[in-house]
Amino acid sequence: MISFQNVRKSFGEREILKGISFDVPEGEILFILGTSGTGKSVLLKNIVGLLKPTSGAIVVDGQDVANMSEEQMFPVRRKCGMVFQHPALFDSLSIFENVAFGLRKHQPELDEEQVRERVARCLNLVQLKGVENKLPQEISYGMQKRASLARTVAVNPRILLFDEPTTGLDPVTTNAINQLIFELSRKLKTTSLVVSHDMHCALAIADRIIVLDKGHIVDQGTPDALKKSSHPLVRDFLKEALSAEGS
Amino acid sequence: MLKVLKNLVDDIGACMMFLRDMIRTGIRTPCTWEAVCVQIWKVTVQSLPTTMMAGFFVGAIMTVQFTMQIKAFGALGYLGGLATSATVREVGPLLIAFLLSGKVGAFTSAELGTMRVTEQIDAIRCLGANPLQEIILPRFLGIVISSFILLAAGLLMSIFGGLILGAFFAGINPEEYIRHIPTIVSKFSIYSGLFKCLVFAMILASVCTYKGYTATGGAKGVGRAVVSTAVMTMVGIVVSDWLTSLLSETTLVLFRGDLF
Ligand SMILES: Nc1ncnc2c1ncn2[C@@H]1O[C@H](COP(=O)(O)OP(=O)(O)O)[C@@H](O)[C@H]1O
Ligand SMILES: [Mg+2]
Repeated sequence: MISFQNVRKSFGEREILKGISFDVPEGEILFILGTSGTGKSVLLKNIVGLLKPTSGAIVVDGQDVANMSEEQMFPVRRKCGMVFQHPALFDSLSIFENVAFGLRKHQPELDEEQVRERVARCLNLVQLKGVENKLPQEISYGMQKRASLARTVAVNPRILLFDEPTTGLDPVTTNAINQLIFELSRKLKTTSLVVSHDMHCALAIADRIIVLDKGHIVDQGTPDALKKSSHPLVRDFLKEALSAEGS
Repeated sequence: MLKVLKNLVDDIGACMMFLRDMIRTGIRTPCTWEAVCVQIWKVTVQSLPTTMMAGFFVGAIMTVQFTMQIKAFGALGYLGGLATSATVREVGPLLIAFLLSGKVGAFTSAELGTMRVTEQIDAIRCLGANPLQEIILPRFLGIVISSFILLAAGLLMSIFGGLILGAFFAGINPEEYIRHIPTIVSKFSIYSGLFKCLVFAMILASVCTYKGYTATGGAKGVGRAVVSTAVMTMVGIVVSDWLTSLLSETTLVLFRGDLF
């Protein structure tokens, strides 16, 4: 479904991704863990062409997106829904218009009634009701994150990319969002890539986990396999997660 | 020193390329008129009071300054024409440009910079739209078009200001003040003023959209974008003022043979 083949990415002199290779089969929930600033967001943005890799290939559904033009990316972006680290809601549009935005662009054939129906369904899915006419800055950060999730799933993407979906949220909302990611992926049968530094929820819902450090993959495997890892960074992540579990 | 120069050239080059991409986008997939009108309205309303007040006082300053000089020649009647001519050709466009760069330029680059660092621009692209078409082009056109509206408003106010001050301080008959405006303000002055206004507005609009659009690095990055917008527009406007003045003088000499 998604395949990274020796992907490198530099900004000027600084190399952020130093040869990344991995595959994500269809329907899998893959977690990518790493400390802040290791290039997790950069990695995700390369998949949807917001950034272009310096070298290497990124294959999405059999097509190499690394050298595609902006127009060629259009159908790929329709397939890949990205949930950004920031809520990234358009602050001059109401929540309703935010969720409808992608629908109007990607599926102009829908009429107003169908758009309204779809928006309502998506907001329902993320348990947001009665905020359709509010502006993003009028609702709480957790609600903004969920509205942003609704906006992404509105166009029925088959691949979901999450950039730190739970960073900065309270534990209750964190759990709700993780549950949501799990259910969405299973219910809609999407392939999901979740970038995070939360080992605890990675262990809970991931099929497979990749640990990234300083531009390299340092370890990967199923949650059970990873628990036995001896890499110091992975152990650090595990210590955090397991102590949280114990308390 | 060499590095600063290199950065400057890089910046100007990247800004030109940004402008080219925007124009290309505009030709292939134009933005809607509604979006442009919203921006025109926003810019105009934001800056109209300031522009009108500044216009009034420019007229007043011109009158006070010219009165002393002209009185000696007994040509007070031409005051209106002289003051308006200077405003149309030079002071008006320059003033509008400076006012706009302080207000609209800073506002636009901060707005776009925020959209950039909070990933709204990335989100637009991911949701299947082109940010150049959806948000940059309307803002660019909005700034350029409303700068003409503001120029007109400022000009009217400066005539009004000059007229009132002239009547009170120099005892000039308002009717005479106005009558001599067309005598001195030639078509050429108007064209040259409009051309200047266009050049300044294009510089301002492209710098602030470019700087905002390419901001990086969180809230600090937005601050940097705003500061460099201010610096780059001020320098750009002053340099291009000299260039356009030179250009109008040359055109005048070429097509008229001599000045009068
Ligand atoms: N557009 C860019 N230009 C230059 N450097 C960038 C850009 N985007 C990200 N970086 C750098 O890449 C590094 C990794 O960033 P990022 O992927 O956001 O980290 P994280 O793993 O926390 O998501 C950071 O040091 C950042 O400064
Ligand atoms: Mg990140």
